[in-house]
Amino acid sequence: MTESIDHDLKVSHTKDESSRQNFVQGMRAYVLNDLSGHMKTVWDRKVEPAFEKTNGRTPADGPEIHKTFKPETIFKFYSSMRCNTQEMVWRSVMPAVELEVNDLSRRAQVLSQAGDKAEGTVSTDPNFHVPRYTSELDVHMMPGNYHEERIDYDVTQGAVFDNGLAVFSFGLLGDRMEDITDSVSTFFQTRYPDEQPKKILDLGCTLGHSTLPWKARYPDAEVHGVDVGGPCVRYAHARAQSYGVTAHFHQMDAEHTDFEDESFDVVYSCMFLHEVPLKNIKGVFKEAHRLLKPGGVMLHYELPPNSMTSPYDGFYLDWDSYYNKEPFYKAFRDTDAKAEIEEAGFEKDSFFEHVAPSRNLYGHDVLMDAAKQAGAQNDSRVGRFGDGVMWYFFGARK
Amino acid sequence: MPDDSVNTESTPLRYSVKGKRMRFFDAQGVDELVAICMGLAQEMWVMKERQAALEAVAAEKGVVLPEDVEGHTFTGDQRAALDAEKQGFIDRIFFTLREEAESLAAEPDEEPPAPSLP
Repeated sequence: MTESIDHDLKVSHTKDESSRQNFVQGMRAYVLNDLSGHMKTVWDRKVEPAFEKTNGRTPADGPEIHKTFKPETIFKFYSSMRCNTQEMVWRSVMPAVELEVNDLSRRAQVLSQAGDKAEGTVSTDPNFHVPRYTSELDVHMMPGNYHEERIDYDVTQGAVFDNGLAVFSFGLLGDRMEDITDSVSTFFQTRYPDEQPKKILDLGCTLGHSTLPWKARYPDAEVHGVDVGGPCVRYAHARAQSYGVTAHFHQMDAEHTDFEDESFDVVYSCMFLHEVPLKNIKGVFKEAHRLLKPGGVMLHYELPPNSMTSPYDGFYLDWDSYYNKEPFYKAFRDTDAKAEIEEAGFEKDSFFEHVAPSRNLYGHDVLMDAAKQAGAQNDSRVGRFGDGVMWYFFGARK
Repeated sequence: MPDDSVNTESTPLRYSVKGKRMRFFDAQGVDELVAICMGLAQEMWVMKERQAALEAVAAEKGVVLPEDVEGHTFTGDQRAALDAEKQGFIDRIFFTLREEAESLAAEPDEEPPAPSLP
C-alpha cells in the first residue's frame, strides 16, 4: 500500500483500491520470495542435474541457464506471474492518480511557490527532446513512462511512479522510499570521511528520492537532480518542498547537461544506468567527467555486474532485460564498468565498488561495520529485490 | 497561481503497456488465463478485506450478522450502485482481453528491441 508516501502530493485511495494494492504487494512477495525459491529448487534438483548428465558439465552462464530453463512450467508461471504482477502494480494506483491529475498539478504549483519550508527550484524545457531509448518505451511496464504529459504543469507520471513504487517495493525501501541512497550515501560518508562535497548532482533523479538523502548527509552542499521526465522533475521539486529540503531539479538529459565544466564534487545516479543503452552510458560517464572538479567522485548505485554474480544469479537478475521492458539492462550488466570509466578519462585505478547493507533492513550498526571493511562482497542477495536485499555501487575519481 | 477551474476536467490515463506483449506458454490463450486468474484472486482478496471490515464493524455495533444478512434486500439505489460497480469488477478481471487493442492504439514508432533470446 502507499502509507510510505507522507508528503503533500499524496493521493486518496479508496478502501478497495488499498486492498488491491495490498494484494499486489502480497503477490510480489510471493513471486519474488516463494515462487523464485521454488524455481531455484526445480533448477538445482531437476533441470541442472539433467543438463549435467547430457553435457558432462554445468551451464556456462546466465544465457545458457535461461535457454535450458525456458521450456519448464515453473519458469513459465514465474515469468507470466511476474509480468502480470508488474502490470498490476501500476494499475492498482492509477485510478486514484487519474482522479486527482488536475489537483496534483495545482498542489505542485502551490508547493513550488511556497518558500517557507525550503527554497528549491525546478526548470523544464518545453522544447526538450526526450531520448528515443526512453520515449519509445513504457519502462518496467509503467504506462506513460517517466515523461508523457497531458496537461500544463503535469506531474501525473511522477505520481504514478511514486505510488507504484510504494506498492512495488513492499516496504523494502524504508521511510520515504529513500533507503538505497540513504544507505549508499551513509556508507560513502563513513568510508571516505575526507570527502566534503559542496555540490552534488543526481542523474536520472525521477522523484528525487535518490537526491534528498545527499542533503541529509551534507547539509551545506548544493544538491541538484536531473531527469528527462518533465512530470518527474516537477513532482520531485514539489516533494522536496513538501519535506522542507532545498534541492534543485532540472529537465535535462544526463548525457548532455547545461552545467558548467568542473562544477560538481560528486556526480551520482541510482538505478539509472541499467535503463540506458551502452553507447549512451559511455556518454554519461564522459559528461560526469566533464562536470566533476579535479579529484571529484562519480558513483552509481546499480545491479551487480554479471562478472560478480553466479551464473544462476546472472540468469535471475537478467530476466528483467528480456521480459520487463528494460532492454538495456543485460548489456549494462555484461559491461566492464571499470574499463568504460577509464576510457571516459577517470583516474586510472581509481575504480571502486562496494556493497552497502540496507540500513532499513539491517540497521545502522551493520551498515557502519560494512563501510569500514574493504571490497564488495559476492552475495546472492545483492541487488535482488526480496528478503535481505543489499545495495551495490561503484565509482571512480577524476 | 494555478487555475482551480481545471480541476473538474477528466484526464484519462492509458493503462496498457505499449509495445510487444510478453508470452511464455505455447498454447494459445494460457498467458491471458494466468492474467485473468490473478485478477480474480485480487478481486477476491478485496472482498475478503471488505468482509473482514464489515464483520468487525458489525461486531463492534452488536449486530448479529448472519441472520441480518440472510434477510436483507437491497434498495433500488443500492442495487443500481452494485450493478455499476460490477462492470468495473468485470473490466478489471478481464483487463487482459482489451489490452492488445489498447496497446496497439499506443503503438510506438520504434520500440528498442530486447536482447536476442538465447
